[in-house]
Amino acid sequence: MGLGTGILTGHLVTLRRFLRTFLVGQGRTLKRRGGGHQPLDFFRKPAPGTEPVIDQGPTTEGLFTVEYPDERLPTRERFRVLPVLIYDDEDGYVRCTSCNICAKVCPPQCIWMTHAQGPDGNPVPMPEDFFIDMDVCMNCGFCAEYCPFDAIKMDQNFEQSNYERHQTHIYSLQDLLVSSTYYAQTHPEAWASADEVAERNKVKKKKDQRLQKALAGPASGRPAPAAVS
Amino acid sequence: MSTPATHPPRNGPSVIRPEWTVTIDPVLQKELERHVLVTDWNKLIGLVDTIYNWGRRSSLWPLGFGLACCAIEMICTASSRFDIARFGAEVFRGSPRQADVMIVSGTVTKTMMPMIARLYDQMPEPKYVISMGACATGGGPFKEGYNVVSGIDKYLPVDVYIPGCPPTPQALLHGLMALQKKIDGETITDLPWYRRDVEREIPVPVLGPDLIDLRTLEITAERTALGLIEAREATLEKPPRIPAPQPAAAEPAEDAAPAAPPSSKLDKIRARVQGTNPAAQGDGETSAASAPPKSAPRAARKPKVAPVMPSLRWLGDEGLAALADRINAELGPGTATIVQAALLIPADKLLEVARFLRDSNVIRYDYLASLQSVHYEDCIEVTYHLDSTSRPGSLIELRVRVAEPEGQGKLPSVVSIWPGADFQEREVYDMMGVRFLGHPNLTRILMWEGFAYHPLRKDYLEPYYEGPTKVLESRVEDGQHFRGEELNPHGTNIKIPQSYQGWNSLDPDADPKGVHLIPPSAAVQVAEIDSESFVLSMGPQHPSTHGVFRMNLRVDGETVVGLKPVMGYMHRNHEKIGERNTFLMNFPFTDRLDYLTSMANNWGYALAVEQLMGDDAKVPERAEYIRVIMAELTRIASHMWSIGFLLNDLGAFFTPALYAIEERELILDLFEWASGSRMMCNYFRFGGVAFDLPDGWLDRCQAIVYDRLERRIDELDRYLSGNEILLERCRGVGVLTAEQAIALSTSGPVLRGSGVKYDIRRAAPYGIYDRFDFDVITGTRGDIYDRYLVRLQEMRQSVKILKHAVHDIPEGPILPGKKSYQIKVPAGEAYSRTEAPKGELGFYVISDGTTGTAYRYHVRSPSFINLTALETMCLGHTVADVVGILGSLDIVLGEVDR
Repeated sequence: MGLGTGILTGHLVTLRRFLRTFLVGQGRTLKRRGGGHQPLDFFRKPAPGTEPVIDQGPTTEGLFTVEYPDERLPTRERFRVLPVLIYDDEDGYVRCTSCNICAKVCPPQCIWMTHAQGPDGNPVPMPEDFFIDMDVCMNCGFCAEYCPFDAIKMDQNFEQSNYERHQTHIYSLQDLLVSSTYYAQTHPEAWASADEVAERNKVKKKKDQRLQKALAGPASGRPAPAAVS
Repeated sequence: MSTPATHPPRNGPSVIRPEWTVTIDPVLQKELERHVLVTDWNKLIGLVDTIYNWGRRSSLWPLGFGLACCAIEMICTASSRFDIARFGAEVFRGSPRQADVMIVSGTVTKTMMPMIARLYDQMPEPKYVISMGACATGGGPFKEGYNVVSGIDKYLPVDVYIPGCPPTPQALLHGLMALQKKIDGETITDLPWYRRDVEREIPVPVLGPDLIDLRTLEITAERTALGLIEAREATLEKPPRIPAPQPAAAEPAEDAAPAAPPSSKLDKIRARVQGTNPAAQGDGETSAASAPPKSAPRAARKPKVAPVMPSLRWLGDEGLAALADRINAELGPGTATIVQAALLIPADKLLEVARFLRDSNVIRYDYLASLQSVHYEDCIEVTYHLDSTSRPGSLIELRVRVAEPEGQGKLPSVVSIWPGADFQEREVYDMMGVRFLGHPNLTRILMWEGFAYHPLRKDYLEPYYEGPTKVLESRVEDGQHFRGEELNPHGTNIKIPQSYQGWNSLDPDADPKGVHLIPPSAAVQVAEIDSESFVLSMGPQHPSTHGVFRMNLRVDGETVVGLKPVMGYMHRNHEKIGERNTFLMNFPFTDRLDYLTSMANNWGYALAVEQLMGDDAKVPERAEYIRVIMAELTRIASHMWSIGFLLNDLGAFFTPALYAIEERELILDLFEWASGSRMMCNYFRFGGVAFDLPDGWLDRCQAIVYDRLERRIDELDRYLSGNEILLERCRGVGVLTAEQAIALSTSGPVLRGSGVKYDIRRAAPYGIYDRFDFDVITGTRGDIYDRYLVRLQEMRQSVKILKHAVHDIPEGPILPGKKSYQIKVPAGEAYSRTEAPKGELGFYVISDGTTGTAYRYHVRSPSFINLTALETMCLGHTVADVVGILGSLDIVLGEVDR
């Protein structure tokens, strides 16, 4: 190789790569490859929520630029950022039973909860307080993985930058709750999986039973406390 | 009139004289506004603000400054896929004096904090700070560590926080946009940098007995003198300590299952945990084992004991017995005793035994694989794992025991026999306080000189210490959550001994990290130049040190005549935290060792614990294949990164790196799809993997493996291997001979680049690597070029393995049983060896069988030990070559400092 040709070759490589970014197939059209072959458009921005998704396939050349925030990378179902708690849309029932398993498996120990108590002082399978310190959470997903009630799940919302941490980064129960509909949208496969369907049915059955009991309550339920006391 | 009407009295109603007020006809006003720009002061300022802010927000130049894992995502943000240039922020400045925004990307350690404060002070106004990721924001998962600052906002004013661990490149861009929004809201009238009364300078904190913030010096001294830390610690449960394993001869003769000694030590732990006096129960092994403590149902369960072997592939029981006999015959009886499948050597005979093993034994133990120490109840044990490059896979373990009290343990250094022990012995000294006599430069390596403690000793409790094992006590009180800071009397992550007196001698300009690592003059003579040599500190903030790594160079002209690596700036207390975590919890932490290769780290750790668990964690076939696929994809991604950034170091700034990490992005897509995270995969579990591959994953993987990877490797090969600049810069530079490479305990591409055919996948096969057909690539000259070429060829071999694995992968379960977070790990000791992309990654795990945590958890990290060879390779070369040589070592600081 002659002296100096290394530099020339390098520049040619760069030039070729630059041109190929914009050329589809044999170089006929001036379009950006990637999500849906959109033409170049510098002026119109997609409406929020309708940003095209750039999922680069294996048969492509090079790497496409994902013009965040106007375009997005595909959000894979298992993609995890921060944990959330699920409540059921139909009745507002928080799935968490405060069994503490998520807190037990949490590697950096950022989950803390207290059990709710009924008016009679007996524990109720619900959290009274639930805190997650987002400045400690390592997004590992163990809490969601080992939760037996499908109550804690990993959210996919990564756009959470903010200007303050001391008041806002410890998420309380209210900050953590998301609806089951939201979860069904973000995690369609998991939602439809046999495990979660079975778990939902089980809970539903239990709720039905409880409802029946409550309905029958005034008649048969009242003597019970009397018997205890 | 004494009071002019133009200055109305401050508190009274202002006087308005009728001639001052002008009434303009509204029609006239409209006409005026149409033709003449009429504005008021605020509107004018607003106009200036718009332009002023637009200019600043659109050219935020970040400081080229990365700390840990988040920095990798930051680099990806700058790469072609996310292209931070679209925001005008692509100009990552090497110097703080040209930067506008500091992206604190990663764990802020105490060792690094003074440098960060200095960098911030050097940045000109206006300056902004983005805190990227959980660690920088609040300490993150490493918050409980003793060397971690609980959030950069303890020192610097932070403008934007980006949650996530790590935040993805898109999240970083979102953070950048948040900062732009903040800038848009600023007005020139009240910007702090135009105000004289606002002090923006940050006093540089001092590395004294701990990291001391000079702003709170008095109160820190006061609280220390009160002994508040000691008082708090007195109330806490300390980590239990177990006695060191004893020779088999002293035990009852149940040979098949040597359960007696562990069960006796377990009883001691139980006794401790239950608060009874262990001495009262006596030390008799058999009695303690046969008579379980009364009314303790947990203790009545017979603890399981792991199969006794140092590693999965080793010399074997007979071989070890024969070796012990030979040593005893050669060097006098009693020299070697077999204790738990390892040779117990008295400290005074260590050098003789080492020399015998290396020079005279049938199997030449020329390779010191790993050196670590364990703090037992009655001693500190230093263990050596040795292997032979001529007979790979015949690993043995040596044990040497020294006195337990702090500062009293002494043993001879083996640096003269295996020079690769250099840094590892210094680490043991730093972490446990054991002195190695005859070590050329026994100084602290990870912490700084003057740090008050030896942190891996079991009697050292960290500032935020809460209990010996997780799960910790609840942090909810009266419906409010409190942070770890509130547990510490200082309100932050510091601990200073009550007796500390040197408050007045704290000097922010002192250099307790590098002061003892000044290379001696005249290590190499430069004959033709008659000049004075001087010491140059390169790093820890330097674009070419691959993170916060520092070298003290002695240069004569441009020639490097002495070099001492200074490390510890990324020391995140992985091992100390790992000894409190349950076994499962360590997985996500291993992700953050070498954050480029989290899958490989997962595997190394899984392998160690699976060795202890034995058949309980038998990996199903499909999971074995998934593991191989993931590990080899990781290898390709890591080598691509390494080659790209080697070019970066050689001066081809960023363009080759951009090309090289393109494929990595597609591989990361696969990881994210399967595991949920691009970098911190946390995908392996004991006995398998966390999730099965999603639908369509294998097709995509197959297509990438078959269509893309080879093409791209060929492309790199074509562009680089014959490139004259590359050849000029790499040939004959940083030469490491095969003998040196072995002696210095290097591993991975560094060792193979020097022509030593030693790959753990072949030398001590793990997983199902023995089923695959691949070559172990070696170099011939041992220079930068050969290491580059080994990496390149290795990627081809990985593709070969991947093609087989993707094709052959069977259907089936991915875990041996039901997924459970309760992991029962029998008592025992294991050392796993895996061929991570950087080299031999080993995990040394001791389980006590009851607490559910590792009693000792040590990482043999390839990046760290490969650095031992740096000095040898660099002497006589120029500073520019040092950068290239360091690039060819391919270190990742998360793994160097752990």
